[in-house]
Amino acid sequence: MLEFQRVCFGYESESATLKDLSFTINEGEFVALLGENGAGKSTLCRLANGLLKPSSGRVLAFGNDTGQVKTSLLARDIGFLFQNPDRQICQSSVRDEILFGLEIALDDAAARQARCDEMLQLFSLSGERDPFGMSRGERQQIALASVLARAPKLLILDEPTTGLDYRECMTIMGIIAQLHARGTTILMISHDMEIVADFAGRALVISEGRLIGDGPVRQIMRDEGLLGRASLLPAQIPALGARLGGPYAEAFSVEEMLSLILEQKGAAR
Amino acid sequence: MKGILDYVPGSSFLHRLNPLVKLLLAFVLCASCFVTGNHFIVLGVIALNLALAFSAGIFGRALKMLSSLLKLSALLFLVQIFFVREGQILLQLPLGLYITDLGLSFSLLFVLRLLAAALPLGLMLSVTQTSDIPNVLVRKLGLPYQYAFVLGTAIRFIPLFAQEMAGIMEAQTARGVEFDTKNFFKKVALLLPLCAPLLVSSVRRIEGGAISAELRGFYLRGRKSGYKDYPFALRDFGALLGGACVLALAVLF
Repeated sequence: MLEFQRVCFGYESESATLKDLSFTINEGEFVALLGENGAGKSTLCRLANGLLKPSSGRVLAFGNDTGQVKTSLLARDIGFLFQNPDRQICQSSVRDEILFGLEIALDDAAARQARCDEMLQLFSLSGERDPFGMSRGERQQIALASVLARAPKLLILDEPTTGLDYRECMTIMGIIAQLHARGTTILMISHDMEIVADFAGRALVISEGRLIGDGPVRQIMRDEGLLGRASLLPAQIPALGARLGGPYAEAFSVEEMLSLILEQKGAAR
Repeated sequence: MKGILDYVPGSSFLHRLNPLVKLLLAFVLCASCFVTGNHFIVLGVIALNLALAFSAGIFGRALKMLSSLLKLSALLFLVQIFFVREGQILLQLPLGLYITDLGLSFSLLFVLRLLAAALPLGLMLSVTQTSDIPNVLVRKLGLPYQYAFVLGTAIRFIPLFAQEMAGIMEAQTARGVEFDTKNFFKKVALLLPLCAPLLVSSVRRIEGGAISAELRGFYLRGRKSGYKDYPFALRDFGALLGGACVLALAVLF
């Protein structure tokens, strides 16, 4: 579905932001992209949908070389949610904003309206409100709604929960999880390791433009040395499990830890 | 990623000039293009700009500026050349259009002036830290800080707005808007709705900056508030003399 083949990229000719990256993301995966600020995560995502073209190597999205195909064409299959929703919102009502992207994707006006209504309902948004007068969390939801309205097969999320409170964060992640369950492939940049632990299945770790880790989130979260190289800390439950050792080292979620504690308590009696 | 007007650090002769002298020099070079009607003098000013850029280590950037301006110049040249109806006809075209010797000469001068006048300002911004411009105007010319701040902020915001616009266009391209189209008119029509996010982000940024400045005693700042002194050196007088010579040449020829 998405394949990086020995990709290098640099904004300035003398320095490379990404160095010799190779990996494949398969259909239906939920991949978290981890790394310190400036590691090249956003650059990697921009290469994935053709906004940037590699200096060397190839990026294949749905079999298309992103260096050869227009981004506007790739956008039919790849949705991209930016960190800052204000760069995306350009209409004076929520309905118009969602319809803006759909007008390019769907010819049938009735189908567009139906899709728009579906999105408004999914996000519990009022179509007549002015997006610029809404909260940051609501604007992020509008931006996501307008991306999802186009039903992308691959959804790229650049820190979708930054600046949101817990409730807003869970609303957005809940919808993303639903989409993933329905088969949408997700590539998500996040600094929130709790979210990564709760939602992603696989993690790519980038440091100074190089891919230093690629594997199941459960495995990556337990590799403190690898996370440390990318200035990351593991999520709290795996970290606690690692400190406690023994059977607890296997715990990955609150539920798993609780069940292990209860199990050990029962065994002690 | 550096914009075309961002400051490039360095220690060249141009970098070390007093910011006020750089400002004056840029103004003098611009003025020289407009007081002369001689194509060669204007070409000489362009060459001088390129030589100065080379000495400051920003020759590549100057060429980039020149090539960006050339695109606009080509358009203006085409418009201008058909508007001047006086002079001897050199080329008769369909639809009653023709090119005259005066039209050709005037259009060429017009375009050369545009290039020669824009380059010094670009170079001046490339070798001067943005904060030095308002500060030197306050310190040396006694301009009230509020006005100098407005000027400095306007200059500082040019690359910021350019970056913001690039980000907005990127976001719209990612949702399928065809900014990568080669059709100029289609591109302009697509750009119009983007004024809203640019305006909103600009107002938010300016409001944030204004509140932040207010909270740090903006209105208490006076002529002596800055920590830099900007003394004049011999090289500053030399540069001014050079500028005056160019202006004199332009006036005389």
